Amino acid sequence: MRNAGWRRGWPAPAAWAVAWGLMLALDGHVDLANQALVLILASAVAAIWWGPAPSAVAIVLAVLAFNFAFVPPRGTLAVDLHHHGLLLLAMIAVSGIITALMARLRRLAAEADQHARRSDELRRFGDALREVDDPLSGEAQLRDLLGRLSGRGVALFVRTADAGPEAATERWFGEPTGVEEEGLRLCAREGRGLGPGSGRHDEQPAWYLPLRGRHQTHGAALVHLDPEAPPDAQERAHAQALCDQLGAALERAAAERAAGQARQQAQWQAMRNTLLSAVAHDHRTPLATIISAAGALHDQADRLDDAQRRRLAATIVDEATQLARITDNTLQLARLDAARPGAAQLGVTREWESLEELIGSVMRRLRQRDPAHRLRARVEPGLPLVRCDAVLICQLIDNLVDNALKYAGDGGPVEVTARRDEGRVVLAVRDRGPGVPADLAPRLSEAFGRGAAPVDSAAAAGTDAKDAGGAGTRRGTGVGLPLCRAIARAHGGELSVRARRGGGTTFELALPVEPAPDAPADEALPEGTG
Amino acid sequence: MSPTVLLVEDDRELRATLREALAVEGYHVHASASLADARAVLAHALGGGGLDLVLLDLGLPDGGGEALLAQLRRERATPVIVISARHGDDQKVRLLDAGADDYLVKPFSLAELLARMRVALRHRGTWLQPTVLRYARDGLEIDLQGRHVRRDGAPVHLTPREYALLARLVRSAGQVVTHRQLLADVWGPEYTEHTHYLRLYMGQLRGKLEADPAEPRLLLTEPAVGYRLVEPAE
Repeated sequence: MRNAGWRRGWPAPAAWAVAWGLMLALDGHVDLANQALVLILASAVAAIWWGPAPSAVAIVLAVLAFNFAFVPPRGTLAVDLHHHGLLLLAMIAVSGIITALMARLRRLAAEADQHARRSDELRRFGDALREVDDPLSGEAQLRDLLGRLSGRGVALFVRTADAGPEAATERWFGEPTGVEEEGLRLCAREGRGLGPGSGRHDEQPAWYLPLRGRHQTHGAALVHLDPEAPPDAQERAHAQALCDQLGAALERAAAERAAGQARQQAQWQAMRNTLLSAVAHDHRTPLATIISAAGALHDQADRLDDAQRRRLAATIVDEATQLARITDNTLQLARLDAARPGAAQLGVTREWESLEELIGSVMRRLRQRDPAHRLRARVEPGLPLVRCDAVLICQLIDNLVDNALKYAGDGGPVEVTARRDEGRVVLAVRDRGPGVPADLAPRLSEAFGRGAAPVDSAAAAGTDAKDAGGAGTRRGTGVGLPLCRAIARAHGGELSVRARRGGGTTFELALPVEPAPDAPADEALPEGTG
Repeated sequence: MSPTVLLVEDDRELRATLREALAVEGYHVHASASLADARAVLAHALGGGGLDLVLLDLGLPDGGGEALLAQLRRERATPVIVISARHGDDQKVRLLDAGADDYLVKPFSLAELLARMRVALRHRGTWLQPTVLRYARDGLEIDLQGRHVRRDGAPVHLTPREYALLARLVRSAGQVVTHRQLLADVWGPEYTEHTHYLRLYMGQLRGKLEADPAEPRLLLTEPAVGYRLVEPAE
């Protein structure tokens, strides 16, 4: 370092050499004061490269040499105080002041440089922490940075308390001794630093720095110090700032985890409510009907005529079928909702499917419930295949169509269509019913917004409306629409509902179209194959 | 002579109900509550043959039914209809691929069950005899021997691949044929994962053979399982 410093300072002796050359050359041509100015100039130039000490030595030597060489009587150090004493003193003073100013400037520049480097280090560490999911993965970087600062070993102690303070987990990085562990715990508990410069336990050979977040301390760092070259207060402040970066990141992550848990908790709660109300409302009604019809068959068999018996049996079959479908919906919703969003969906098997086929298979099943032939399907030719779970999409179509048949009013047509729309395939189920009643719309859209929110109230309202109209079995699907929504989500699709112009409702499922797989080549088969 | 059916179902109520209903329809029913029970019946009561059909429920207390199916397939050509709960898709398809003839999903109606049984009994032993060669229903006529396909009397032109696919379904008319079986038989065993081939070719076949391809009445889709050509007219 020293040698390098001298090497970097080569222009200083060069300046002196040039100045002496100039002074010797000018000797006799100019007066002494002008020669002195050249010397002052040289000292100013040299001070740019040399530190204060070498500069001072150089100035004193230069002034003595000047005195010896140029000041009469030449060849001696004797000075005529009247004539030249002031000149020599002024030379020393001016050169000294220039050197001191230069040195101060250089120190300030070095400090600014150091400051900028530290800010940069701090910023980069902060950025690195923001980019990782788990801030703990930044511990190695922090230990590295602190280690470079002190030149000695570093240990870290991190406390995470996700599930409340009782269930706090402790993590140790590096190898602190028993005493040091105690110190780290104390430091983390109190949130205040220990060791040199902290005003507490200054005799310690190491810093104990808390990892402070905004609201609490998340651990502590132990930084061993070199007793020969103890770092200064600024370095300590920098080390503390680095530790606080990690502390803030740990706090941020803890807050995010807590929010995620709360969100999940709320979802579970909503889910539980949906399922409970489904069982309470949707399952009990058909069960009650089945029990009374079966009871009648059982208890009054001999008093019923054939037609009555047949009717009761048909009621049991219908209601049990309805119950089976509600059960399917409830189970499927529970299954889909249990899967974490984003993660690979549990039980969702995606294959290349043709929407035309899926609609066709649902149509065939639903025809039995559509004696009046109100159901119509229209599929745009040449629709691309979509990657989806056939069973789930069928269940979705089935629910939407069943819903439309129930709510579309008597005899109104129900249309199932599939078409292409800007990189998506859109499946729509439309009816010409009375539409979504005004008081129901917000609840319905709420159910759509949150996915698993219960629409049992909507269904109940629907029942009331229908009962007032006095026609047939109009019962809410309960979990039907939340299930449709969950199925759409599981496919990265979107389900929407809107009123139709001229009356009625449209439910639309938009599914993304993925690049199609290779089409098979229909090469000729040898005769007789098949 | 009334056909003999082995019913393997662990739920007591369902077993009793089905047994009674099938007896009313003129079947002779042996009922078992478990795989071990079923094996015992096969070994003793039905050891000498005379079994016409097996109804096999999945999710029995002592196993998944694969072993019983394998044993049946080793010993005899008796048709097997698998009865599965809603979400037993994978197992259901595995059993179909392993040689089961058809499947029903609980809850099913008696009418559905009887229809499946009728088809299965009609196909009984077809693997010994020449396959089904003629098919006629709703204006569609297929003659595999003469390689004719007619709709409402007019010949329909099919590509070789379309014809091969249709012929495979005709040979199992009324029964489900899994994706894997269709792909293996029509394209070859290395194509069993290429279900998108089936989507395209079934679409083309429906376009040529169905009155309304969006609502097929002949070439039916069994989502996530396979395809079924509706059973021919009596």
